Amino acid sequence: MIAVSPGSLVTGLMAGVGMALLSGVADAGSTPENLTFLEKPITPEQIALGNDVYAEFCASCHGANLEGQKNWKRRLDTGRMPAPPHDASGHTWRHSDLELYAMTKFGIGAVVPGYESDMPAFEDVLSDEEIIAVLGYIKSVWSDEERAFQHNLNPKDGRAK
Amino acid sequence: MKRNTIVGGAVSRRVLLRGLMAGAGLYLLPATAFAAISKSTSSAIVFDGNSLIVARGTSLLYRNGSQNWTALPKVSEGTILTFTTHPERPGRIVGGLDTGGIVLSVDGGKSWDVRGQGLPEAAVTAITTAVTNPDTIYAAIRGDGLWQSDDAGQSWVFVMDRPWLANAERDLTALSSVDLATGMGGIWLYAGTDTGVTRVPDCFCRWQDVQPGDAMDALASGKQATPKVPLPEGEPVSALVSAVSRPATLYAGLPSGIWQSHDAGVTWLKRSEVIATALAVHPLRADDLVIVNNDGVLQSPDGGRTWTAIANI
Repeated sequence: MIAVSPGSLVTGLMAGVGMALLSGVADAGSTPENLTFLEKPITPEQIALGNDVYAEFCASCHGANLEGQKNWKRRLDTGRMPAPPHDASGHTWRHSDLELYAMTKFGIGAVVPGYESDMPAFEDVLSDEEIIAVLGYIKSVWSDEERAFQHNLNPKDGRAK
Repeated sequence: MKRNTIVGGAVSRRVLLRGLMAGAGLYLLPATAFAAISKSTSSAIVFDGNSLIVARGTSLLYRNGSQNWTALPKVSEGTILTFTTHPERPGRIVGGLDTGGIVLSVDGGKSWDVRGQGLPEAAVTAITTAVTNPDTIYAAIRGDGLWQSDDAGQSWVFVMDRPWLANAERDLTALSSVDLATGMGGIWLYAGTDTGVTRVPDCFCRWQDVQPGDAMDALASGKQATPKVPLPEGEPVSALVSAVSRPATLYAGLPSGIWQSHDAGVTWLKRSEVIATALAVHPLRADDLVIVNNDGVLQSPDGGRTWTAIANI
């Protein structure tokens, strides 16, 4: 696992992405065209890994088919919001790669300071390779239009526009 | 024309009333039409180009480019609590009703059509038009949440629950589309509540506090963000608007007075102790501010520093 502190997120993440992608760069034949994460291609092997990671760690809240929790736009009695879908009906595709990575690794509060969410930080649960794989898998189910929209949120330095 | 100009932040109700009485003869107000209006009656105000529309209880007032006020026909379906207009739709005024649903006028308020099919039957407490799309309208429904229409109010979809602040869901008291990028391919919606200001991106991922700069920039750089100077904690926000011509300029009406921000709500400065129950900014002049309160309609040409009474209603 690659150590990435919030204070050096971009540098650490870019190094981590490079390591995570080395294993399968050569074969991208069965992935959607131009599927990338932080400008690095996502491979079929990564999508397969991401599918497994999603099923184990994400599907119980976000739905086996990425459909989110029922009535996900209505607040729970706790005051927190249900888990949103990761498909086109949700808003995941409105976040840059780096935001998605930061929210998954460090929790929603890393991007929206003070925000309380039922989603945990996966910093001590998933490796960077697994986080990138699961986000690559989620991106693989979006339409070309959503991927293109989301791609435009990713400037070259990895930070959101 | 003599104007009742009041200089300085602190303006007493007595001074305002004296000024209004002195200028009362200048207005073409149909006094009998408004005589029965309670001082605690709901109010709304909005610019339509250079014209002004004011709702006070069930009564409606219109002022064109001149200084003359005229009464408009009442809306029979309910009381208008909130208005929205858009610079690219001159003459189109949308009002949110206390009885639920909205009314829309395309002739500057002379006639109204009822819209809002699909909206819950509860008061529309705040309404705004997307700055970047004049046919997209957002409506806040009491006890329910935020709804969106992409066809100028014909049909609606639920987009977001109410914000959770200080351990409770909060109805929106004001709503303003702010033409500043969210980093998510859209712009912001700012909202007033009975316990402060909050905002949500127009992708409706989550209500959130106003933050200086971009959280990802701060996260990536590890640098401390600019310190915030927030509004007084816990004060209810009765009015909140963004200046279309200068989107980072916000005005908020609180019990403590009129507050202004030039950086999209990161830092706030109190401009006046005048109380506003409704507030609007001229679409082209970010310092041209009008408010409604229990003393009538007041206008400020300088961002809230000085005020002139322009109607006694």
